[in-house]
Amino acid sequence: MRINFWYISSLFISIFVIIPILTVFLSFFETTSNYYQILKDTFLLEYISNSIILLLSVLILTFLIGTSTAYLVSFYRFPLSNFFKWALILSFAVPPYIYAYSLTAFFENYGTAYSILKSLFGDKNYNLYIPKFDGILGVILSLSFSLFAYVYILARASFLYQSQNFIDLGKNLGFTNFKTLYTIILPAARPAIVAGLSLVAMETLAEFGAVDFFSINTLTTGIYNSWITFDDLAFANQLSFFLLLFIFALFILENLSRNKAKYHFNAKGGFKQKQKLQLKGTKSIAAFLFCFLVFFLSFLFPLSQMLYWTIKFPENLFDLQIINLLSNTLYLVILSSFVLIMFSLISNYGNRVTKNKTLNILSTLSISGYAIPGVILAVAFITFIAWFDESVVKNLGLFSIKKIFIGSILGLVLVYFVRFYSLAFNGIKSGYEKINISVDESSYLLGYSKRKTFMNIHIPFLRNSLLFVCILISLEIVRELPITLILRPFNFETLATTAYISASEDLLEAAAVPSLFLILIATFFIIVTSKYILRDNNE
Amino acid sequence: MRIVLILKKIMRKNGEIMRKTSIFVFVASLFATSFLMANEVNVFNARHYKADAELFSKFTNKTGIKVNLINGKAGALEKRMIEEGVDSSADLYITADAGRCGVFQSKGMTQSGLTSAAIKSAVPSNFRNSHWTGIAKRARIVYYSPERVSGAELSGLTYESLADPKWKGRIVIRASNNIYNKSLVASLVKNNGKKATAEWAKGIVANMARTPKGNDRAQIMAVAAGEADIAVANTYYLALMLSGKKGPEQQGAAKKVKAFFPNQGDRGTHMNISCAALVKGAPNKNNAIKLVEFLLTPESQEHFVNNTFEFPMINGVSANPLVVNNIGLDFKQDLKTKVSSYGAKQADALEVMTAAGWK
Repeated sequence: MRINFWYISSLFISIFVIIPILTVFLSFFETTSNYYQILKDTFLLEYISNSIILLLSVLILTFLIGTSTAYLVSFYRFPLSNFFKWALILSFAVPPYIYAYSLTAFFENYGTAYSILKSLFGDKNYNLYIPKFDGILGVILSLSFSLFAYVYILARASFLYQSQNFIDLGKNLGFTNFKTLYTIILPAARPAIVAGLSLVAMETLAEFGAVDFFSINTLTTGIYNSWITFDDLAFANQLSFFLLLFIFALFILENLSRNKAKYHFNAKGGFKQKQKLQLKGTKSIAAFLFCFLVFFLSFLFPLSQMLYWTIKFPENLFDLQIINLLSNTLYLVILSSFVLIMFSLISNYGNRVTKNKTLNILSTLSISGYAIPGVILAVAFITFIAWFDESVVKNLGLFSIKKIFIGSILGLVLVYFVRFYSLAFNGIKSGYEKINISVDESSYLLGYSKRKTFMNIHIPFLRNSLLFVCILISLEIVRELPITLILRPFNFETLATTAYISASEDLLEAAAVPSLFLILIATFFIIVTSKYILRDNNE
Repeated sequence: MRIVLILKKIMRKNGEIMRKTSIFVFVASLFATSFLMANEVNVFNARHYKADAELFSKFTNKTGIKVNLINGKAGALEKRMIEEGVDSSADLYITADAGRCGVFQSKGMTQSGLTSAAIKSAVPSNFRNSHWTGIAKRARIVYYSPERVSGAELSGLTYESLADPKWKGRIVIRASNNIYNKSLVASLVKNNGKKATAEWAKGIVANMARTPKGNDRAQIMAVAAGEADIAVANTYYLALMLSGKKGPEQQGAAKKVKAFFPNQGDRGTHMNISCAALVKGAPNKNNAIKLVEFLLTPESQEHFVNNTFEFPMINGVSANPLVVNNIGLDFKQDLKTKVSSYGAKQADALEVMTAAGWK
């Protein structure tokens, strides 16, 4: 085993990220207090059943919306199909909690829908005829329209890599388009779709803002509530353990069901560029309408609701220190992206050069931070710091470190780091996998040191991956809510926290301004990178 | 910075690592926050952020004391103060329910100190103790649709009689995890006992027009829209809707409901407060007390009543005209039940509601 800088730093990074995750696991074996036992028993079933309902519904909806739109824009030409290709990922810019605000604003009694009906047909009580999208239905819709883009992006990328040969094969066998889709295209795209769905699953289980807004009790809000209401961190951690079991079970299920099937993309030999079919007549209109509907519901609807409110209640625009909120948000984004990317690069490279098994396992474990909801990470972080401070730092006679970590930018970025490390690590890893190990060997042969290889060869090669990862992290952090909410310092608000706080104070219309700006920034990020997310050929 | 020094020592052997360390130091400096002690007060604020923020800047202008603010939901803020323990920077905790302050005190998180003459003379004794004090008042009352509920039906209505089967399918009230409900039910536990309140909660659940959802304002709108005949909600919400701050539609909706004060024949209507609590180990205790005193001046109280539509805490300040004209001031307040009992009976309240299937 070679112990060098790369090994030590990778080891250190992995261990750092694993600490909160381990805290969650270990506390499963602590005994919880008997206080409120009855309440817990009542709630646990509700938490679990709500989580299951939510998970299944969101998975089904995102699968249907994501793959159908990806299929349409990848295989057919119809009016604006090139526009929809990237417009559909704009839904990423709308976090589920803002979607939830929009749903409520529009459909509530005397809401926007009522105003529209009133201005069209005069003053009557329309409230009883307007459907109400709240409760668990509201959460399902908010999550589905905000998260389907994961499935869309990955399914579309996979469809693009499919050779025209496959599809021709189907045609030669006399398959209808639907049968081709069902028996050839979808099965071949399965790993990508499942990857997309598993991201959706993790986001769904971790969702805090929308679920909290509609006061639905899921495992995640249960964790938060048992920590807050019942003062019972052990129980909170046990719930997280259930949650993690849930997530692992999903992965195992998918792996088992795949069995021995192998998925190769013959990108080099025999790849035939696909020809998009031109749709005509009603089919073309139907495809257009469907994509437009999805685009409208996922992006235009929340955007216009927030815009409408901003115009209707303009005083909120002037009350808020928007510049301040924007700069705070961007500050966090830049700092966290920088830290995440730097350390992920180091640990990736460490893994590559040391080829150490322990390190590999640790890295694999450490990326599971993404599966742990932000709420629980923040809780685990505070607990850990408090424990460490009380039992180690103070015994050494040093000053308390709590203030350095809790309620500071440092603490905030550290927890972001644990949460989003897997995004950065995996993003860079997939870039690394495209660099053949022989490149490194040639570099060493030419007398380059490890550091030089890293700086002069890997980094330029990885540029595109790095940019993509950077934007992914930025998007996540702009939208991130619970960690920021729990750990932020004094006098420090971001767009997301301001929106959430206004909404929770029954000032939904005041939440519109920060929400609107949040959507706009996120949209900007998406548009800047859309050509990387949606690149049409192999590189 | 101490950590950085230690790290440096460990890593000194390796020159390459030194360079990395300098990057680390650079990054650390990006994080650096000022630890300078200043003339300031640190407020954990869980209520009416906008109106309160305006008041705080007035306070700063007047006294030169900077108000550092962290806004958030009560539970999360409390938790953070608890976990930070004696090292917490929190001086003052401001929240919208006596039940919260009571429970926070019972966790040993507050300290005595709100005993100045200014506070004692301003706030009636049942709305304060030495650890925390009310800074504004609200009542939790019944709203009804005059079209569908007659005066005879309402006559003599109490919180207790809301469980009467005659209201079956006609009541809306928000969820049991809501603090206003916890405090209301806690006051019932205090007055009628846990067992009777458990029966009462079952009656309420049976009378609900729908599964509890939405905030207090949503309950009032449900009555306006015809989803239910009576709603339980706090006083200031109706005034807020009538003010037009929520748009003309809600202003119109608010005119369709009327306010009713329960329990006028016995102990009076359930009262609650927005409260400010002095946090244990507060590094700026004196400034915190000054801020509380400032919040109880007529100037601040005017600001409260006109922005949040609560009742003033002190005498000599009148409630907002929208409150006076549409809700009224001429009602018997429950001054018998000490608001500190809301915290003490909170666990029982939650238990009876949950057992009754109150979502």
